[in-house]
Amino acid sequence: MTLTYAILIILWLSLIAYAVLGGADFGGGIWDFFAFGKEAERQRSLIGQALGPVWEANHVWLIFLIVGLFTAFPPAFSILSTALFVPFTLAVIGIVLRGAAFIFRANSEAVTSKVWGRVFSTASTITPFFFGTAAAAVASGQVHVQGGRVQTDLLAGWTTPFALTIGALALSLCAVLAAVNLIIEAQHNNDAELVEAFRRRAMIAGAITLVLDAVAFILSPFQAPLLWHGLLDHALPLAIATALIGLGAATSLFLRRYRLARVLAFTTTALIFASWGLSQFPYLVPVAVTINTAASPPSTLLALLISTSIGMALLLPSLWFLFHVFRGKHPALNVQEKAAEPTSTQH
Amino acid sequence: MSDLLDARAQMGTSLAFHIIFASLGVGLPLLLCIAEGLALWHKDSGWMTLTRRWTKAFALLFAIGAVSGTILSFEIGLLWPTFTKFSGSIIGLPFALEGFAFFIEAIFLGLYLYGWERLSPRAHWLCSFPLWISGAFSAWFIVSANSWMNTPAGFQIKHGQVTGINPLQAILNPSTPYETSHMLLAAYVATGFGVAAVYAIQILRGKRETYYRKGLLLAMALGAIAIPFQIFDGDLSARSLADLQPAKLAAVEGVFHTEKGAPIQIGGIVDDKTGQIRFAIEIPNLLSILARGDPHATIIGLDKFAPQDQPDPFFVHPSFDGMVGSGFFALFIGGVFWLLYFRRKRVVPENRLLLWGIVLSGPLSFVAIELGWVVTELGRQPWIIYNILRTSDAVTTAPGLGVSFAIFSGIYVVLAITLTVLLLRLARSPLPKQEWPVLASSSDEGVGTK
Repeated sequence: MTLTYAILIILWLSLIAYAVLGGADFGGGIWDFFAFGKEAERQRSLIGQALGPVWEANHVWLIFLIVGLFTAFPPAFSILSTALFVPFTLAVIGIVLRGAAFIFRANSEAVTSKVWGRVFSTASTITPFFFGTAAAAVASGQVHVQGGRVQTDLLAGWTTPFALTIGALALSLCAVLAAVNLIIEAQHNNDAELVEAFRRRAMIAGAITLVLDAVAFILSPFQAPLLWHGLLDHALPLAIATALIGLGAATSLFLRRYRLARVLAFTTTALIFASWGLSQFPYLVPVAVTINTAASPPSTLLALLISTSIGMALLLPSLWFLFHVFRGKHPALNVQEKAAEPTSTQH
Repeated sequence: MSDLLDARAQMGTSLAFHIIFASLGVGLPLLLCIAEGLALWHKDSGWMTLTRRWTKAFALLFAIGAVSGTILSFEIGLLWPTFTKFSGSIIGLPFALEGFAFFIEAIFLGLYLYGWERLSPRAHWLCSFPLWISGAFSAWFIVSANSWMNTPAGFQIKHGQVTGINPLQAILNPSTPYETSHMLLAAYVATGFGVAAVYAIQILRGKRETYYRKGLLLAMALGAIAIPFQIFDGDLSARSLADLQPAKLAAVEGVFHTEKGAPIQIGGIVDDKTGQIRFAIEIPNLLSILARGDPHATIIGLDKFAPQDQPDPFFVHPSFDGMVGSGFFALFIGGVFWLLYFRRKRVVPENRLLLWGIVLSGPLSFVAIELGWVVTELGRQPWIIYNILRTSDAVTTAPGLGVSFAIFSGIYVVLAITLTVLLLRLARSPLPKQEWPVLASSSDEGVGTK
């Protein structure tokens, strides 16, 4: 029992890590899509600079989540893969095109680079949307199973108004995460214009997120009653805390406290996922699969827990090192500033 | 096509695509580590230029490997949900372990690609170690899972229920030592000869700089050291089939009827109807000798298996021979190259015929990997888990698999073409003229690239 929950919490934390870190990377692609005007190229290059060293590592949280689910809860993985065949396939196509186009863009000549840039930004919108709809299908109890066989129609579940709203919400949330992150990146580049540009973008995306949140909230008693009752029943304090911290993120953004805004926006996202998880407890896939019926035997879970502990002991310091090395001002800028200093003193 | 065939086609295409990048992901970091180490040790701008070039190519190849690997991790569930349901608790663990190895690789790749200015030259070089070490671990873990599909272990089935699961025993199943070592060596062989082929082409085109000779030399060292081990290892691997998977061995060698003192039949076209191989070169008793060490030993043929349990040797047999042939060709080329090198007092041989041989050995080594997987996978059919679960019972019930196969095939074609164009562009861009200290710690090698 305890073992099952320990593994489940690790997997849910991976989901949060993917949503926050991977989400910010996909959001970068969304802002690439909306880059226009004379700042457009600078915005694009800032996005590229932010994604470059980290996007592949951030992506692996998803892989870890998939193989973890496969190992610890095989029936759930099997059922989800069958019922959500279409949104998962589309999300994967988005992942492939986003990643490939990002690296192709950086290595192509001007004209083809533009084409791949378009592919990069378009593909970045596909994945969060379809993962969002898939998550909504699960949370709203739309995956039906009878006698071990999935009964759900290919297009059912993830195409309801509620699911489409959550898909759009996932997109706008990614956009917020990316924008608050890009503000800090722009500060490192001493680019005040881009700081302001992404502050505006973060606030617009935040407002859209708020509206979509409200729509989902109104729809959920009808379309996702289980989630609704779960939320009222045992996740209400967490949901209120989420809303308050989200409000805090917006306020600190408004007051130009950017580091705080980033921390609060990331925390809000994490808490959204925590509230979702708590709301649908004790189901893994409501109401088809419970946590305990889907769990692998203790021998497997123990082996997974031990390997995960060893793996994390290697992984987390490495990850810290990665973010540590790429934090702060780009070294090339230091050189430029030094070169610029003598001329500025002459004036 | 039937749904089963669509699913198998999509899975096969995805694996055939991914394995090229996975192999380079194992092999190239080792070359990077050695080249950068030599550069720092000798303060040599030639080795550093090679490191820089390979890093750029590796960035492209790794990204494509990462996304195509993601497709596969989803496809296991999307295409084979019954397989995942049955096997997750038994053999999911190596996938999770591979997840960690891949994570470490991705983290240090980020540091390695973008850290030239932010890390000291020595720290940068040290980042290449976790790259090639975790690359090798990734390959080992994933192939151990495939080994389990060939020789399932670490569980019992009682009254139709899986019990007594021991994940460690599942990872260390009987095929694991053979398959994992064979794949790791294959990655080094293919990377070595593959990279060597690039520089052989350049030298054939009249490029004279030492840069090209250094590239050729290091790549040929890796390939030529790995290939004899690989052939020895392949022999062990094939022999293990006699006990572990006799049906696969029968398909590999085209043995339709159980016989004593079986001959080996090289090449030819398998005729399933008559149970013969036409146009094959036959060497009497050799199969019995190779498989059992006794010229009169009995080799089990396909006739010992019920018709619905037989793999089809039509592709398996020629694939196996193609793989072995490519391996021996690489061995021959590697041997001649180093023989000439040492006989001519350590001068890189520039014999055109030999260089053309190297050019050919590169792609052939990758073909050998593909053919080897054809042997492993088609030779296991009709089972997805040998003697436990049939492939036809594991396939998804989702309709429209043909559409999904067509879409993914289209994506692979686009990726392959773009990647080829970009790699060619990279190979043709002029060499930088920068001197040692700049080259060792600047963000860019200086010329023609972003």
